[in-house]
Amino acid sequence: MNRLERRDGRLAWTLLAPSLLIVFMIAIYPLATVFYTSLTDRTFASSASVSFVGLANYGRLLGVAVAPEGAPSGGAKASDALPPGFRSMGEFELLGSRYAVGGTDPKFLSAIGDTVAFSVVSVGLEAVLGMIVALVLVVNFRGRGFMRMSMLIPWAIPTAVSSKMWAWMFSSTRAGIVNVVGQALGLTDGQFPFLVNSSTQLWAMIAIDVWKTTPFMALLLMAGLQMIPRELYEASRVDGCGSLRQFFRITLPLVKPSLAVALIFRTLDALRVFDLFQIIFAQKRYSMASFAYYQLIDSRKMGYSSAASVVIFLVISVFIVLYGRLSGGKDER
Amino acid sequence: MNDSKSWSFLGRVAFWSVAAVLLFNVLFPFYWAINTSLKSENQLMMTPATFLPLDPVTKRLSVSWGNYAAVFSNKPFLRGALNSVVVAVSVTALSLLFGSFSAFALGKLRFRAKQPILYLILSMTMFPQISVLSGLYAVMRRFEIHAIMGMILTYMLFTLPFTIWVMTTYFKALPDSLLQAASVDGATPFQSFRIILLPLAAPAAATTGILAFIAAWNEYLFALTFTSVEPQARTIPVAIALFAGQVSKQEPFGEVMAASVLVTIPLLVIVVIFQRRIIEGLTSGSVKE
Repeated sequence: MNRLERRDGRLAWTLLAPSLLIVFMIAIYPLATVFYTSLTDRTFASSASVSFVGLANYGRLLGVAVAPEGAPSGGAKASDALPPGFRSMGEFELLGSRYAVGGTDPKFLSAIGDTVAFSVVSVGLEAVLGMIVALVLVVNFRGRGFMRMSMLIPWAIPTAVSSKMWAWMFSSTRAGIVNVVGQALGLTDGQFPFLVNSSTQLWAMIAIDVWKTTPFMALLLMAGLQMIPRELYEASRVDGCGSLRQFFRITLPLVKPSLAVALIFRTLDALRVFDLFQIIFAQKRYSMASFAYYQLIDSRKMGYSSAASVVIFLVISVFIVLYGRLSGGKDER
Repeated sequence: MNDSKSWSFLGRVAFWSVAAVLLFNVLFPFYWAINTSLKSENQLMMTPATFLPLDPVTKRLSVSWGNYAAVFSNKPFLRGALNSVVVAVSVTALSLLFGSFSAFALGKLRFRAKQPILYLILSMTMFPQISVLSGLYAVMRRFEIHAIMGMILTYMLFTLPFTIWVMTTYFKALPDSLLQAASVDGATPFQSFRIILLPLAAPAAATTGILAFIAAWNEYLFALTFTSVEPQARTIPVAIALFAGQVSKQEPFGEVMAASVLVTIPLLVIVVIFQRRIIEGLTSGSVKE
């Protein structure tokens, strides 16, 4: 190592120091304390003594039990079959006997289920719709600039604002536009409580998320589409390929790297969804993040909330690994 | 597909209908928010909802500006606007300052441990904020950091890694000969960074700066948590989420929509002016590398 390199090194560390200090203060240190706190029964903002409880918080968050209830329609209540401390989450039938499913904290378990379902469905829809939008946006037409600009608006406005806008549009009377249109089309009676009915709640969330983030997805895909050399299309047209075949033979394979990146970004984003659920449902239905938030701020269970945060961290890590596998680690880009 | 002359008539009709539907879908909620914000309490109660603010009796167009007047006399909202400006501007400035330092080090200087630091930064861009929430809030309470300061500091969790990442790629692409020429003239590396590279990096700085500003302006989770015991430090997204009306006890949707429209306007201006830069910035993370 020569003198110049040593000088470079010293300067590099000096320049990096502020950023590394900030990263340590707001990411590494708090993450370490969250991991540690998740193993304790710490209460937030209280002087009560803290004791180490091991994995008890995780046990309570994720505890699941399945118990046989005996013959179908035996009349026994599902919750009776479950061990103490487990609350019923549903029943199913298998090979002629009924089983009760219970969890120690059904709210968190359903928050996981809801968040994963929300993420998978909305990101899937966004990918398909985003591709359509991107294909429209790469075409050179009059008004393309205006269209691209409009696409940025849903992305740019705060989720808090768009959540309020949509909550109002989804109102459960005909003061809400969705019900007005629904009734005009004969789909609802004009009084449908989209945000209250448990079977439409998630779909409403998905609709809002798709509206807000499809444009973002489209812009990422558009960047990928623009890098495809035009000669490929011309050559394939000479060979007599139709548009549809061109899409599957040329466009899709070549846009795949951009698509993979867009999917990862969006999935990670969707899995940590907070604003939308907290603003529209408060404590009526949770995403993983809003559950952890309410445990911390409302119930002041810092240990428990931290454990939930760690679970979120792990779920997201699982998705990162999954994507890594699917996109094939071999083509190292 | 890129050659518009060869389109058939049918294809063109299909294309324009798809484009029209897309545009309608994107813009309709904003139209509806504006429409709602111009209705009085009575007009909001009309069922079915009308597509323009109409008088309940005569069915003539009757626009009411009451909601905007109410928003402009709503102290928490105005306070929130000021807080948002302070937080977003500070976060942007600090991210650019520290980010460009780090990016220069990572992009142009030779030293060991460069790769691990780059990976650390990249992994932070995937970091779920919720997973550090309780730890961060505990630190802030213990050291009695004011909520505004706390937001400025913690928002760098998502603005700083992105800024460093994009600007590092940018610095890497600048030719090394620039630095060599400067060093022949007797400039220290830091001098050549300040005098030569930094001005050249202005476009990348503008792009990342705009994105950092928007991200900080829109952040909700940290803002909501940190201001839960300091309501006077609330930013705009929190103020809107917790909007309390002046008159009605129900949720005052007319006023909320007026506030929403007002908040959207500055973002609209940013988007109109900087759309090219924003698109560049959003896609720079995904296409390169």
